[in-house]
Amino acid sequence: MASSRPEGQGWFPVAASDDAVAHHVVEAVLAERELAVWRDDDGWVNVWENRCLHRGVRLSIGHNEGMELVCQYHGWRYASRTAGCTYIPAHPADAPARTMCNRTYPAIERYGLIWTTLADATGSDGPPSSAPLESGSTLPLRAMAVNVPAGRALDSLAGLDLPDPNSPDGTTGGPHRRIDGFTLVAGSGEGVVVFFAQPVAAERCVVRGVVGPAPDEGATLALLRRFNRFLTEWRDEVEAQAEFRPGKRATPPPPTPAIAACSDGTRTRVRVSRRWLTARDVVAVELEAVDGVLPTVQPGAHIDVHLPGGLVRQYSLVNEPGRQDVYLIGVKLEPESRGGSRWIHQSLSVGDVLTIGGPHNNFALRRDAQLTLLIAGGIGITPLLSMARSLHRSGIDFRLHHFARSPEHLAFTDLLAGLGEHHRPHLGLDPAATTVELESILAEPGAGHQVYICGPGPMADAARRVAAEKGWPEESVHFEYFANTRPRDDRHPFTVELARSALTLEVPAGRSILEVVRENGVQLESSCEQGACGTCTVGVIEGVVDHQDVHLSERERAEGRRVVTCVSRAAGDRLVLDL
Amino acid sequence: MIRLYDWELSVNCYKQRLLMALLEVPYEIVPVDFFPGWEHKSPEFGRINPLGHIPVLDDDGFIVRDANAILVYLATRYDPTRTWYPVADPELLALTAQWLMFSEGTTNTASAARLHDGLGYDFDVEACRAGAHRLFRVLDEHLWFGEREGRHWVCPSPHPTIADLAIFPDVALSEEGGISRVDYPAVRRWMDRVRHLPGFVGMPGISPPLATSPPSVG
Repeated sequence: MASSRPEGQGWFPVAASDDAVAHHVVEAVLAERELAVWRDDDGWVNVWENRCLHRGVRLSIGHNEGMELVCQYHGWRYASRTAGCTYIPAHPADAPARTMCNRTYPAIERYGLIWTTLADATGSDGPPSSAPLESGSTLPLRAMAVNVPAGRALDSLAGLDLPDPNSPDGTTGGPHRRIDGFTLVAGSGEGVVVFFAQPVAAERCVVRGVVGPAPDEGATLALLRRFNRFLTEWRDEVEAQAEFRPGKRATPPPPTPAIAACSDGTRTRVRVSRRWLTARDVVAVELEAVDGVLPTVQPGAHIDVHLPGGLVRQYSLVNEPGRQDVYLIGVKLEPESRGGSRWIHQSLSVGDVLTIGGPHNNFALRRDAQLTLLIAGGIGITPLLSMARSLHRSGIDFRLHHFARSPEHLAFTDLLAGLGEHHRPHLGLDPAATTVELESILAEPGAGHQVYICGPGPMADAARRVAAEKGWPEESVHFEYFANTRPRDDRHPFTVELARSALTLEVPAGRSILEVVRENGVQLESSCEQGACGTCTVGVIEGVVDHQDVHLSERERAEGRRVVTCVSRAAGDRLVLDL
Repeated sequence: MIRLYDWELSVNCYKQRLLMALLEVPYEIVPVDFFPGWEHKSPEFGRINPLGHIPVLDDDGFIVRDANAILVYLATRYDPTRTWYPVADPELLALTAQWLMFSEGTTNTASAARLHDGLGYDFDVEACRAGAHRLFRVLDEHLWFGEREGRHWVCPSPHPTIADLAIFPDVALSEEGGISRVDYPAVRRWMDRVRHLPGFVGMPGISPPLATSPPSVG
């Protein structure tokens, strides 16, 4: 048997392109590895390990929602492209860890078939090119699953009189050309049929035939039926013979592929693929991965953008989960810019390469609310637009209340238009009128209703105050500030004990817990470093916290169980941290 | 009021619950302790059905047994559109009857394997599984060509028939009898279409689609 590709290595077809219809999940097996194959609403084909990370249930019985795959069992959600987990219904208020990522395999569509490889695809040239099919249109035949080994199936076909794709009644005599252990070409001249074998297990395979060029539309069905009849009869015969074959071969263990490189989000290199003015003083920037795929997006997440001169700025992603071929951010030119937004507005060009960190998600969206009220002020639209798009796709009821100075200040109007009447602009209101409007929006706290607020400090403060006055429970009111504009005081020196690291450190005046901890070799992730985003928050075991951030809620402050280490300090002499 | 003598895990009872849900026909359940109580084999139940099996339907005193007979009765009496059981079209009616007979096959193979694996019935399970695969191969071929001919249900009608509902549960629960559907992509797409019918209800092992997820296209 001419086999240049051992089973499980190289590229094999696992489905027909036609099998992966919208909102469906195809079940496939290649070399005993179970695969879930699904096409997202953008046409991207995913080939994943067919197991939910949670309890191992097959994802092929799950729901293809369009951009996310939802497990049937407990509703874990995974983003298209990366297979990163985006939501866990049992922990509705928490953002899943970035490292929770299913195993993905590369997918290529060729000759009307979906191909993948279980081996490391780096540097691989993709499916075998089949010269007779390269020149024109192709028609995949109905696949035939056969309970015989792949090699034996093609050995058998190689010697048979096969239907001739060029004539309605003719046959094309054997032997046919064996390209390798898994490919057979029959026919000559105008039309050929190529059979690709998909090894399923030691004694099972799927034979996928492709005719090229495709016949006229009027002759297609007859040709499909003719080949299907031939292959059905052939299958019954070859299976009947196989039952008497002694000495069944043991299955070669499938090679273990490298675990999908699930970004830890520390650093990703991106290139500016588009930039445009999306509203007055707001530049939209699209970022594409320099190599590989971008890390998983969760609604409400932000990235750190590293700018020249050591500046790091946080921008919320407008993306919805799964739709992450490029990241989309909106950058408002701040009049008192410290250099970040000014540089992006004036100097950043298409083609520039930047380093980003994240995404971080400290503004996680619950997807179990009866009604979700999203309240945006100005450029605070960006994380809420991500949330709105996600809720809209899932059909979860929401309103996006959008405060802005004028119609020219509304960013991403094309995306807002897609939300229909869920988008409610409130334009040109002064602070007093804004408060009146907020009182109406938040008039009735409903059971199972959630509020998400993002906007400039005074507006976000007003919305939180109104929500509290109207009786909204604090755990239903979620917020994110752009910046921490509250006065800060870092004069008080104190001691921190890191319980897990067994370190006792002095935090002098003028330094933060975060800085001191890092200097002593303890890793702690951070992002905005001004007490707004909450990335560097850690647990408090003992001691009273002097909260100086705008990330924690009033209740969290009162409980004193968590501290935002970039700005908050000990109220007394000592804090014991869960670090 | 319709009363259905029912056991929650029975595929043949579920076929009735599914049709009545799709037709929005109200009914009452009379639970029968099929397992482990074997209530359907009790003398009391023998007065309702001397054959000692479920489902049995009691519609204001009219009593009918056997899954496909009940489907025929319900569709004929309660579907004013006459699409679920197309009595006005001889050919379509014949094909509906033909695929109803096919469902006897899937019940006696796929669902029998499920009873073997789940409840310990003394069946030749390998024969059941092989028989189910033979039927599933025919069904997949039929549905695959149907997709190319613009036919989305087992019968050549733009509307599903009770034959779809008679076959669907046996197929949808086949994995509980150790019968994989990986070789039947067209059957899996048809199952998605059935699950997206307005008013669809599931049973343990068969979930309705996400409330909001759009139906499969193609």
